[in-house]
Amino acid sequence: MLDWLSDNRAVIAAIIIPILVLAFVWSIYYGRKQDRLTDNDEVFGDPVRTKGGWYWAVCGVSSLFLIWFYFSWGVGRAYFPEAANNMCQVAKLEESVGPIKASLPIGSRYYKSTLLAGRNADQLDELQAQLASTPFTDAEKAELAELIDQTNTLIANSSDPANMSDATREELSGIAVQIIALSQFLDAGPVNMSPTPEALAQPKWGTTFTEIPILPRTEKGVLFDTAATQAAEISGAFNKIRNQSAANDSLIEDTQARIEALKEINESGDFDEATLAAREDYVKAVERIFRRLDDGLIFPAAALEEVNDAVAVLDASASSAQGSLRIADALFFPGPGIVKSATQCTEQGSARWLPKPTDVVATFGRLANPDLENGGGYRGFPLLWWDWVAVADVVAFFVPDWIADVWPGEYARHGSDGTIEPNFKDKLLAFATGDVNLGHFPMLDGHIWDSLFRVLVALGLGILLGVPLGLFMGVSKFFKSFFDPLIELYRPVPPLAWAPLILTIFGIQDDGKIFLLFMVAFAIMVISARTGASGVQLSKIRASHSLGATDRQIMWTVIFPNALPEILTGIRIAVGVCWGTLVAAEMLAGTTGIGFIENIARTVSDYELIWVTILIMGVLGLVFDLIMRWVIQKTIPWRGMG
Amino acid sequence: MITKVKMAALAAATTIAGLAPGISYAEDVNVAFFLQWPTPNLIAKETGAYADSMGVDVNWTDFTTGTAMTEAMLAGDIDISYSQGLAPFVTAIQQGAPLKMVGIAVVYEANDCFVRNELGIDGSNASELEGKTVAVPLNTMADYAFRKYMDHYGVDIDTMTVVDQAPPDGAKSLADGAVDMACVFGGVDTASAAEVGTAIMTSEQKREANIGSFDVITVTEKFATENAELVQAFMDATAEANEAWTGSDEQIQMVADASGMNFDDTKTTLAGFVIPTVEDQKNNFFNENGDAAAAAASLGLVFSESDTDVASTIDSSFLQ
Repeated sequence: MLDWLSDNRAVIAAIIIPILVLAFVWSIYYGRKQDRLTDNDEVFGDPVRTKGGWYWAVCGVSSLFLIWFYFSWGVGRAYFPEAANNMCQVAKLEESVGPIKASLPIGSRYYKSTLLAGRNADQLDELQAQLASTPFTDAEKAELAELIDQTNTLIANSSDPANMSDATREELSGIAVQIIALSQFLDAGPVNMSPTPEALAQPKWGTTFTEIPILPRTEKGVLFDTAATQAAEISGAFNKIRNQSAANDSLIEDTQARIEALKEINESGDFDEATLAAREDYVKAVERIFRRLDDGLIFPAAALEEVNDAVAVLDASASSAQGSLRIADALFFPGPGIVKSATQCTEQGSARWLPKPTDVVATFGRLANPDLENGGGYRGFPLLWWDWVAVADVVAFFVPDWIADVWPGEYARHGSDGTIEPNFKDKLLAFATGDVNLGHFPMLDGHIWDSLFRVLVALGLGILLGVPLGLFMGVSKFFKSFFDPLIELYRPVPPLAWAPLILTIFGIQDDGKIFLLFMVAFAIMVISARTGASGVQLSKIRASHSLGATDRQIMWTVIFPNALPEILTGIRIAVGVCWGTLVAAEMLAGTTGIGFIENIARTVSDYELIWVTILIMGVLGLVFDLIMRWVIQKTIPWRGMG
Repeated sequence: MITKVKMAALAAATTIAGLAPGISYAEDVNVAFFLQWPTPNLIAKETGAYADSMGVDVNWTDFTTGTAMTEAMLAGDIDISYSQGLAPFVTAIQQGAPLKMVGIAVVYEANDCFVRNELGIDGSNASELEGKTVAVPLNTMADYAFRKYMDHYGVDIDTMTVVDQAPPDGAKSLADGAVDMACVFGGVDTASAAEVGTAIMTSEQKREANIGSFDVITVTEKFATENAELVQAFMDATAEANEAWTGSDEQIQMVADASGMNFDDTKTTLAGFVIPTVEDQKNNFFNENGDAAAAAASLGLVFSESDTDVASTIDSSFLQ
């Protein structure tokens, strides 16, 4: 069932998306109608105005999902499930033609020859300008100036079409002819082409670790795939062409010999260190530029024009052969499209880091599967499940081991026949370390539970200790003045700053993480309870006092209820901040937890996993908040009415 | 007065016109590197030999993790990563990142795993590690080394409690006794872990078991295709800098300055480096079934179920 759902996620998305669109449109229509009904009766600023309005929640959620579907290419995949495979084949062609395009204006504004000629001529000019200040003799300077001139001539000779050999000319036009032939091949369309059975058997787009099936699955795909193979050959041939003109041959030989001669003078001459370094550097600089020019990489612009035009024709053919694919690409696949790398085709742009909603659900489903043997869970631990917990372990947690140590007597030793007779002291130790069978009870287990447990315990402790302290700080001079400096000193410190200390003090178990979260929750609870207590109207306290209330009664029946709105708001804030600190806390020494999963996913850039953890934390935070809102509704319905 | 201002403006305008080139031929090449990782090629970075050799401006940006290098390369901000770890490279390839390995930057001893001295565990009784707690920075080269060691000694990792800890935390937990073994990297953390623990394998044993690691030079596929001659020039300049390396105090000081370290630490770190020559890379790493492909493949299996063929992203054509 799960596999079937996972395999048909594109179809499922295709059903969900229209529902979302309908929900979006309907909610706007319905919401506006409802608003018109009450518009005249409502006073601006009246809190009652914000009551209800669930249809606007529908509107918000559906628009969020639609945006998510769109930018993650979920819409594209739902309605064009073969598009990625086809775009991958087009990307293959693009990759194959890349090397040719890179040296032509059609791919990079200038001819690569233009850039090479310009860049090296500039550098030669610079060297020429420096020549006067070098420690060469006048004769050597003249020689170097001539060498620079010759190198410049090299550029000029290469750029002159008249100097080109017929062989090179033929090679270049051969390339152009081949490219034109390739574009005609594309124009002819997929005749007698069909995808191989192997290609059709590939897993669908996004259902496995390898995102996009790489072998062509459609006729059109086969066309582009075949074209890409041919283009790769043409590119290889094009890259091998060199512009070796006869005019340059003797010049290269001569320049090379003269540079060598200068290098020899440098080596054999008796120069001091600084002079030698300056001389060597200069000759090396000249040689470096010369080396860049001696292998015939500069072509006359006119000679490449034919190839450039041919590539333009190929581009036109390729885009017309794509047909409807181009429109789909432009409309439903925002971003730079699909890029072919050495091993696979990948989505680029927003789809690279934003996984599709259906994929996130599928990944969540895989993690949530408690069957660890069959790929469920994460790193050998379920997401949220239950397990038998030994009662003995819980007892052992509360019974310290030293009780056995201080018990009179000695621990048992193995006898001469190799057997061991445990005495009472041994049994006590076994009890204290949980090594006895006291039965089992079921308990929640898994990454989510571990995170939840840490947050809940920290929050519980924060409330239990923070609220009374805050209340007392609100009513007592001693408590206020004694604790104020302590709390205000540690409160502004970001939780992460405590991390290194926590590790040393508490070690790697849960208590350190809980303490970190507790520190956060505690400060918030103290501040909110104190604000609540000190904000109670004096008249209420005096009234109850004059009616004969004791201190305890004033505290319980006047101050506490009046501080409750602040305290509950404090809890809401504390819950949010605790979840926020959780990732940092679980970074300390991660073995389990949602934050742990996110930390690991980050190191391998697994965006699907990262989004799953983000959403789990978001949803858990939301659930907490909804619960808190319900509690607020129930306990202080009078808030804002007094 | 007015004439003076006008004259000045005119002069300024002429200067600007004189400076402005008709066409901007110069491209920028962006290179990523690590601070605290003293490779000899940093001398070429300091002297500007890279810019000279490539004939373009070279911008160097320092990173703290190899994963961040990958991200920057995917975003198009970095063209060449010098000394990216093998682990981030392989995981990037598995995620379909269009990157290429074009050379080996530095070969160094595999990161160490230290066992707490009180436990008295070393290579001879390594099976006692079963059931123990170990701090490992997951998905790094240290993680890879850890798995290799345990594999070598036949220790079942499933019986151990593996705690994900960054090297500074792992070293501290080892000292506190919270973990029984800590796998760390980096000079400072290795030193502090060595204070309280013993490496599970000595340098010699590591060599015998053939457990080592190396950092690679990676480029984006787009850059390699479009600017093959710049990649070539970069590799040539690197080879030249490596050949010119004598290990003299002056050179070490230069590398120390460039990598933001002090002289002594630099010297110690450099002592553990082997910088393979171009010939060595061609014959031992980039040949058929060479170390590069073998290590990448075995690393790939460690970190994910993906069957990506990492070997096809290895390009030896720039080693000349």
